[in-house]
Amino acid sequence: MRSYGLSEIRAINGKYSMFHAMTEEEPSEGRFHFSAKDNLTSKGMETCSGSRILEGYRPAFDATSIERMKAAGGELIGKTNMDEFGFGTFSTNSGLEVPRNPFDLERACGGSSGGSACAAAVFEDHVSLGVSTGGSICCPASFCGVYGIAPTYGRVSRYGLIDYGNSLDKIGVLSSKATDLRKYIGVMAGKDERDPTSCAQPELGDSHVKLGSVAVPMEGVEGLSKDVEAAFRSALVELERMGVDVEYVNMPSLKYAMPAYYVLATSEASTNLARYVGMRYGQQEGDLSLKFDDYFTSFRSEYFGDEAKRRILLGTFTRMVGFRDRYYAKALQVRKVVIDDYKRVLADHDAVLAPTMPFTAPRFDDISKMSALDSYKADYLTIPANIAGTPHMSVPCGYDSDGMPIGMQFVADHWNEEVLFSIAEDWEREFELRRPEVVA
Amino acid sequence: MDRETIERVARAAHIKLTDDELERYSRDLGEILTYFELLDEAPGCDDYGVNPVEVADILRDDEPSIRIDPDELLRDMNTYEGYVRGPRLS
Repeated sequence: MRSYGLSEIRAINGKYSMFHAMTEEEPSEGRFHFSAKDNLTSKGMETCSGSRILEGYRPAFDATSIERMKAAGGELIGKTNMDEFGFGTFSTNSGLEVPRNPFDLERACGGSSGGSACAAAVFEDHVSLGVSTGGSICCPASFCGVYGIAPTYGRVSRYGLIDYGNSLDKIGVLSSKATDLRKYIGVMAGKDERDPTSCAQPELGDSHVKLGSVAVPMEGVEGLSKDVEAAFRSALVELERMGVDVEYVNMPSLKYAMPAYYVLATSEASTNLARYVGMRYGQQEGDLSLKFDDYFTSFRSEYFGDEAKRRILLGTFTRMVGFRDRYYAKALQVRKVVIDDYKRVLADHDAVLAPTMPFTAPRFDDISKMSALDSYKADYLTIPANIAGTPHMSVPCGYDSDGMPIGMQFVADHWNEEVLFSIAEDWEREFELRRPEVVA
Repeated sequence: MDRETIERVARAAHIKLTDDELERYSRDLGEILTYFELLDEAPGCDDYGVNPVEVADILRDDEPSIRIDPDELLRDMNTYEGYVRGPRLS
């Protein structure tokens, strides 16, 4: 097992900026190294969720996911950079550091678990914990050329997770080794009375399931870049060679998932972020002579970033009297319609398959020209599985003409992670993964 | 979205916006809400909930328990004689 010393970790981080906080002690030999997205609380290690408003927050407890990784012999070496509170597709909406793509430093890692994907790609024998709300594990896994899985909603306890959208957030795993997905979801899964949403789960399956058939939604192959389309078609041919039936299907509900997701996610986020007011955590040095409302407003206005403010405003608006039924209640209905659409297709197939992202990792200067809506629309392939709470996984399936990684995303039925673990393990034997050239 | 609505929403959310922000968010949110009109034509249903999977109602025994030492929690908080400091109430 490849082990890294403290000075080496610091030097690598200096080049890629995958970590916001790092261990201050020399990592011990014999324990496996892992990192965790910076919205998972880590005892004594600064946890900011990519936000300036939480700078200086050193939690008094570990999130259940981190606690279980440590209990399994893991050593937490760093907290990974991310979009502020998970609000983004490229990890560029950060109040702190922005991670750089290991295949091209001028490009983004994807988001919002960008630092996690970067760490998984750069460090050997390393597993990183990510969190997905609308695609935040699969998107960066695709852009950085690693495996990434978001399990069923409720499979891994969210205790200690700094919430973005409570009904959407899922903790998962990113790694350059397919076998790590089964191993570490297995470590973290299971009931935890501190998160009641984890307590209705059936036992995690651990058998190897031979993939028989996949459904490719027509809606999932629209709007792709030329390179992504070509890599995906080649992957379908390879799957057929492996004995998998591929069938194109229609899933008409998918086009409604994106607006429904942004209504639900921002509604939940705007209430979750109400707790950040300059008291108890992070930034607390304010003018205590101000009145209550003015004191709170001063912190929130100064320390929340641009996208955080935009999503708080959007979520506050869609919950307002007169708009609730049109937006929030309708979005909940659409979620159920999307779930039903997946159940219908998965009754006849083992998984639903489409490219993970419609393009490869963009350059930072191109991202800066995108409008907020352009950026939201980029998530149209990852959002449906996230709004449905179904387990989903991105596996590397090719490289574009610049050598940038391309991923494809499998979606399985609720609680059926074992089919995804098996697909990743079978695919890994057939696909030649490229590792980035790492120079600190 | 008009400026007056954005100002009302921002007040409710405890965020003070600069003139530049008001203009930018007014434009952005208008564009986003126009896109959300797609929801009006989406099929609905009656049997929907707030979570994507069934969630169990879990209650622990009604016994007092402390998982984290309160002094640990207060360590990095701005406190005065063991109380969290905050702004004036009036």
